[in-house]
Amino acid sequence: MNFELSAEDRAFRDQVRQFLKDNLSPDIVRRARTEVHPPNEEDRRWWNSVLNKQGWAAPSWPKEYGGTGWTPVQRHIFEMECRLAGAPELRWQGLRLIGPVICEFGSDAQKKRYLPPILEGTEQWAQGFSEPGAGSDLASLKTTALLDGEHYMVNGQKLWTTEAGYSELGFFLVRTDTTSKHGGISMLIIDMKSPGVTVRPIEMINGDISTYEVFLDNVRVPRENLIGEPGSAWTQTKFLLANERTSSADIDKAYGDLRRIRAIARHEKKNGRPLMEDPHFRLRLTRLTLEVEALDWSVLRVLSGAPSNYPRASASVLKIKGSQLQHRLTELAVDALGPRALRLYNRADAFAAEPSALWPEHTPGVMADHLYMRACTIYGGAMEVQKNIIAKQAFGL
Amino acid sequence: MDFNLSEEQRLLLDSASRYVRERCDLESRRQAVREADGFSRRHWQHFADQGWLALTLPEAAGGMGLGMADAIVLMEALGRGLICEPLIDSSILCGDLIAGAPEQGGLNALLADIGSGTALAALAHVELDGRSEFDTPVTCTAEPDGDGWRLQGTKHRVFYGSSASHLIVSAQVSGEMGYSLFVVAAGADGITLDNFPLIDGTRAADIHFDQVPVSAPARLYNGQAAAKAMDRALNRAIVAASAAALGSMEAVMDMTADYLKTRQQYGKPLSSFQALTHRMADILVETEQARSMLYAALAALDQDDSTEQNRQVSAAKALIAQAGMWVTGQGIQLHGGIGVTEEYAVGHHYKALQVYHLRFGDSDFHLERCARLIDTGAMPGH
Repeated sequence: MNFELSAEDRAFRDQVRQFLKDNLSPDIVRRARTEVHPPNEEDRRWWNSVLNKQGWAAPSWPKEYGGTGWTPVQRHIFEMECRLAGAPELRWQGLRLIGPVICEFGSDAQKKRYLPPILEGTEQWAQGFSEPGAGSDLASLKTTALLDGEHYMVNGQKLWTTEAGYSELGFFLVRTDTTSKHGGISMLIIDMKSPGVTVRPIEMINGDISTYEVFLDNVRVPRENLIGEPGSAWTQTKFLLANERTSSADIDKAYGDLRRIRAIARHEKKNGRPLMEDPHFRLRLTRLTLEVEALDWSVLRVLSGAPSNYPRASASVLKIKGSQLQHRLTELAVDALGPRALRLYNRADAFAAEPSALWPEHTPGVMADHLYMRACTIYGGAMEVQKNIIAKQAFGL
Repeated sequence: MDFNLSEEQRLLLDSASRYVRERCDLESRRQAVREADGFSRRHWQHFADQGWLALTLPEAAGGMGLGMADAIVLMEALGRGLICEPLIDSSILCGDLIAGAPEQGGLNALLADIGSGTALAALAHVELDGRSEFDTPVTCTAEPDGDGWRLQGTKHRVFYGSSASHLIVSAQVSGEMGYSLFVVAAGADGITLDNFPLIDGTRAADIHFDQVPVSAPARLYNGQAAAKAMDRALNRAIVAASAAALGSMEAVMDMTADYLKTRQQYGKPLSSFQALTHRMADILVETEQARSMLYAALAALDQDDSTEQNRQVSAAKALIAQAGMWVTGQGIQLHGGIGVTEEYAVGHHYKALQVYHLRFGDSDFHLERCARLIDTGAMPGH
């Protein structure tokens, strides 16, 4: 056992810090730190292209396709530094979800066509998995894609298709065979501008729109857009999720949240003194700080391939604790800000806000983030489903 | 970063686990705590034979000179078996205080005896108004007498005090800032003990010092050095005790999962009830957090920055104590009535966690200490 960050990793961290300092502007940082969801799309596309010029857009990809060749710990350092510096969070769907799937399972033609624009940030992707009747029980999805000559004819409805309204492409789970449950599902790339694709926004309780319903009505999709063999999407989906074993801990956001809470608590007053000096508040903050640090070490253990008695449960453990902490962190941020958190900012106001004495820089986005984050124990596999997974995988229950 | 066990650690884990499996069942523990010491001298001798009592002691004193990473591997395995022998108190806490003393004249012999188990050292520091070693006032006095001193006063609830051959005693030397630490033979003239059992079957004692003569070289530290050495030794003792607590949590997790598979109610095993299997998932989540926090504290022990060291150890104690009380408490709950009986191990693990929680500063104390240290700038994530 040796828990020291190597000299190489420390030098790497310094290099990342310098790069972030040289490339991020105060405006970009201010918008990112509101944590308004979804983040500002232009900022994200721009940051995607900046990272790509540096060769850092897709750390999780194999090196031959544009990955960085970093170790898992270095990727962790990179993401943490980006978040703490206030870099825009890049879109996940292309870089972290479908990109690695295309690298692993895609045809040469698919790799050539789709990977470069993901790296450049010029084509963004939507993830079409859930349906009205297929939430936690994803394999009961009903959208069909039936072969008609050289095209698939796609019909069905997708739900919770995050950021579909401004995505160029989508990867969709479709049923190419209605006789087999898991074995009948395929992954299909659909151009979101195809005739028959209708995207309808869903307004969320944070007052914003980040997710959509997608109606697929006789959409003709070229046969070559199917990834791998027909019926192999369940394997691809498991691969996709396995790639993201630690990211659902949201550990870099958690550290960002702690930073934000401290900033609020140093500024806000209680009984004429900074809230930070209030003993009860300090203990709440300290308690959360400890738990975030413990989770950070849990992430490091998984990334470092630490021996574990419960390897197949580790992703669910991280997801449960990470999402519970998101609830508590964003709650504490709201509590720290107090009744001023009740002001409803529309996103334009939140992003444009010039700090004033009454409404300082740390005000916008606090409540919106909290409201949006109620979803984090639901999306990506609800907490109760994660508990089922742990009971089975860790204990054989 | 490397979380893998070294070959030596693997062997240590295997031998400790085997010993616990074969020799430390609940019945043998029950017998051990009935002995006058409140623990088993037979186990104690075995620990000595295995080199476990000398694990972290310096090589110059016949110790193995290993680090706290090795100690936590051992303590987690022993914690699973609810061992009640004073390995942490004697070898790690007092061993570290003695080994770190600036003047080593004659101390190597004592350290060698601690390593071989022939000496057993206990820390006599806490007094009436102290909730822990961290906040206790020191009103015991050491009055100069010839070349040495005479100790006067009372120490409160000295763990394993009645079994100790040596005591490390804190006392105030008049005219000096801060307390000094003295090492005293427990049988010295003027020492009287009131000993009593603790909830886990071990013993502690209130110890009265009445004009107890101590020689000049018996003073290990004075002033700031004493407080610093105490912090360091307590940090290490807490990390070791945290590993044992984690061992208890792991043991409870295993036995509870097994129980859910075998116990039948309403014609089916308890494992078919989702409320119960979800509780097991929560138990794993909290136990994993505890393990991570133990590693974080272990990593901090190697840092030069003592503020960060203190903060991280307090963080671990605060979190693991709360997680451990909850996990072992849920272990009882899922077992039902049998969980609160003396004949079943889960309740004993709960008591072990209760002792862990209240010793060396409770979780509230450590949470507050952490909060204080965060203010002074030791803060993760910038």
